[in-house]
Amino acid sequence: MTVSNTVDQYTIMSGDRSKIKDLLCNRLTECGWRDEVRLLCRNILVEKNGNNSLSVEQLIAEVTPKARTLVPDAVKKELLMKIRTILAENEGDN
Amino acid sequence: MSSNTTHTHLSSSGSASQMATTQGHLTASAISLNFRELIKEPKGLEDAANYLFQGLLDDVVAGIFIEIHHLRKTGNLTALDGVGEENAESAYRICEMPNLDIFGISTAKKPMDCTCPHCDRLVAAARFAPHLEKCMGMGRISSRIASRRLATKEGATASSSSTSTYLQSGGNTGGTDDEDDVDWSSDKRKKKSTQNSRSNGSKKNNGKIF
Repeated sequence: MTVSNTVDQYTIMSGDRSKIKDLLCNRLTECGWRDEVRLLCRNILVEKNGNNSLSVEQLIAEVTPKARTLVPDAVKKELLMKIRTILAENEGDN
Repeated sequence: MSSNTTHTHLSSSGSASQMATTQGHLTASAISLNFRELIKEPKGLEDAANYLFQGLLDDVVAGIFIEIHHLRKTGNLTALDGVGEENAESAYRICEMPNLDIFGISTAKKPMDCTCPHCDRLVAAARFAPHLEKCMGMGRISSRIASRRLATKEGATASSSSTSTYLQSGGNTGGTDDEDDVDWSSDKRKKKSTQNSRSNGSKKNNGKIF
């Protein structure tokens, strides 16, 4: 039982994961990050897929680091705070 | 390696948790227990939060990429972009001249005539169906006219019994038509005599074939 497994299992079970995910999606869309990443994806598709050279997974693996750097700091900080609060309040829920 | 340390940590906290872990760590209480143990340390909390954030972000990026990939494969990406303005000007310009519709095609009546297979006349395309109805004796009014014409013709040349049988065999339309026609038959008789003298030979023959 790794950290990742435990965290995933618990947050999915308690329904927190979907809540946090919705919040993240909203914030990212509001701040325009989503459109930037869409543009990025399109450019990569255009330049790389002359003959369907790479698979979907490889392309996603390429896009993800760039997308991570594009996330605005404010959004990242807010989300991390929110996640910590939610995890911590569950801990006190015994 | 990390799983080993977690195991020892849990086993030291009591037999109940040990039972839970050996049962295959999938029961709800086992999961919450593991989680809470993890969260108690501040480093655990940090790691968990970062891991969760990264995971969620990856999901979002994958979602965006799949959306674009799907649009591209279905051809909707170029559809969303639309046609460039230069192309739109030349190919699809709206035409606004007086006697033309917006595609530039004239609105005057087109000279499309059809030849009726029954009477071999040239008829306008829009009037073809009603003409065919009258010509072949199949419309409501034309069958009334035809049967009445035949009835009076039969009545003039043969006995009344044949007329009545013809009227009955003419069907319901013949019978009810006569009742309906009582009121305005006087007017119709005048018209009918002129019509009889005026009608085409071919039309009468066609009525008789039935």
